[in-house]
Amino acid sequence: MAKTVIIVDDSKAVVAMAELALDEMIKSGAIEFKSYLNPLKLLEALQNESENFDLLISDINMPELSGMELAKAVKSNDRYKTKPIIILTTESSNEIKMAGKEIGVTGWMVKPFSDEKLIKSIKMVLGV
Amino acid sequence: MSKLKLLIVDDVEDNRLVLRAICRKLENFEIKEAQDGLEAVEITQDWLPDIILMDVMMPRMDGYEASKIIKNLYPQTVIIVVSAVTDLNMQKNMSEIGVDTYIHKPIEKELLLFKLQSIGSSINLRQGKLKVLSKKNALNPFNSDIRSFKIIFDITDTESMMDFGMWLFDQCAGKDVVACGRLDLIVELFYKLMRRGTKNQENLSIIVEESYEEIYITIKFENTIVLEPRMVEILNAFESEFIVQKNILCAKLKKHIEEKNSTSEMGKTTITEEIIQETVETKITKEIYIVASKEKELLRQSFTQKTSAVDYVCDIGGDILDEILDLASLDEEWKEKLTAFEEMPSDENLKKFANGVLEVYAHTINSLFEFTALAYALTSLGVFLRDKAHVIIQDPTKTRTLIMLLENLGYDLVSWRQHIFELQDTQDIHYLDSSFFSSCMQIEGIMSNKEMDDDNDMEFF
Repeated sequence: MAKTVIIVDDSKAVVAMAELALDEMIKSGAIEFKSYLNPLKLLEALQNESENFDLLISDINMPELSGMELAKAVKSNDRYKTKPIIILTTESSNEIKMAGKEIGVTGWMVKPFSDEKLIKSIKMVLGV
Repeated sequence: MSKLKLLIVDDVEDNRLVLRAICRKLENFEIKEAQDGLEAVEITQDWLPDIILMDVMMPRMDGYEASKIIKNLYPQTVIIVVSAVTDLNMQKNMSEIGVDTYIHKPIEKELLLFKLQSIGSSINLRQGKLKVLSKKNALNPFNSDIRSFKIIFDITDTESMMDFGMWLFDQCAGKDVVACGRLDLIVELFYKLMRRGTKNQENLSIIVEESYEEIYITIKFENTIVLEPRMVEILNAFESEFIVQKNILCAKLKKHIEEKNSTSEMGKTTITEEIIQETVETKITKEIYIVASKEKELLRQSFTQKTSAVDYVCDIGGDILDEILDLASLDEEWKEKLTAFEEMPSDENLKKFANGVLEVYAHTINSLFEFTALAYALTSLGVFLRDKAHVIIQDPTKTRTLIMLLENLGYDLVSWRQHIFELQDTQDIHYLDSSFFSSCMQIEGIMSNKEMDDDNDMEFF
């Protein structure tokens, strides 16, 4: 069964590039790809359980809610406590890594990302 | 030159790392760290630091107690208190024991560097070694009489390129519209050089030196610089003095804005330099002058301190109404020019998009003063598309992908404008900056069939 990968990023360009990179995985049925531009909308859908995921990839700087805040809120819900979250960021500072680690995110990935890097990390986390 | 000793005192490891990362950009500093006041005193007794960056609230011994002991033993040691709290009583007590200056958290990087540079120069001056040694260390070929401290950008990745880009905009982007055209050329040239260097995984750094009247920006490669034809073209149009020698390229910028009517007078100095262009030596003779903003402080921004859209618009609102209206009409222009390119995917139409939309957008955003990273990204993408237009249009799949990505990029700018100026609902007006920059880079990567980075850019806990 296809694993659900959700990417949340306020940038449509980033979402489009991720979808482009994952084209083969989507077409082969390995993953189902969903995207949200507004983290609040995703949070709402997760909280009322109309949405679910196997892997969440979140941008860090978004106008409505930061990726860290989103990850914290998602992780505080038992339903998603053990679900992997990858943070997308343009800076790999220690501060960000530490903050993410404390919240319990699975890892981080630096933008700009290569197709290969994105596919590799998804396969690694989901074991597909 | 003996290095100045800098001691960073903070109980939080991340804070020490941030300070160390900032201070690494300065030459001639040797850095040590202490985890609390007590350790700071011990290290000071053994190592005799020249400058101490001192946190206040720490276990075992706080910054106040430690400063008191250190100032008593070594009054010449300069102590800069780094504090998140503005407490007038504490400041008064600190002044009484001889603390020299304050830096407030969150740290404003440029301000900290400026203070350290100034204090460093003052210590060297006091020790009588400034002038001689600075002459010895000058890298730029223009002037050996420079201040002893330099700002160094190690260009290794996107982030460091952006650091330099933002710094360059801060220095050069003035209110003088005439300066904008020149700035674009400077950005384009350095961008091309940096991109090529990082792509070739070459060690390259940019060293900024200053005299009292001028700034010298030198980009230094490991190997001899080979200039591409477009770079030579830019150098020819470059309204500044420049020198290319083997593995360095140096630009000289004047710190003050010249009167427009004195332009012709300024260009009296003529320099002739050998430009190496793929084994062919070309003589280029330049006349000239350039401008850097007198009020660069006004343009300095701190991205560590978040500014909300409400505060930003409230501060600057009335002054930028025209620019905001321009942006709205540029969004329309974006769609129109892109549609024209979609209907007729020609080299000319893509160039029209790059020149008529991206370039104009960059200029307009530049005049908002706050969003230099966005302007830099747009300028860079424009340069890339102009250069590669003829190659891209040969490949219909690539052309379709480009149109789709530019459409999405345009959407991101519309959304950014709305969040900042209309909805004013973001707590951080710079939320898009670095992401947009990386998207532009990624588009370039996709269009050139080049992978972006390696495995070091991800980590799983």
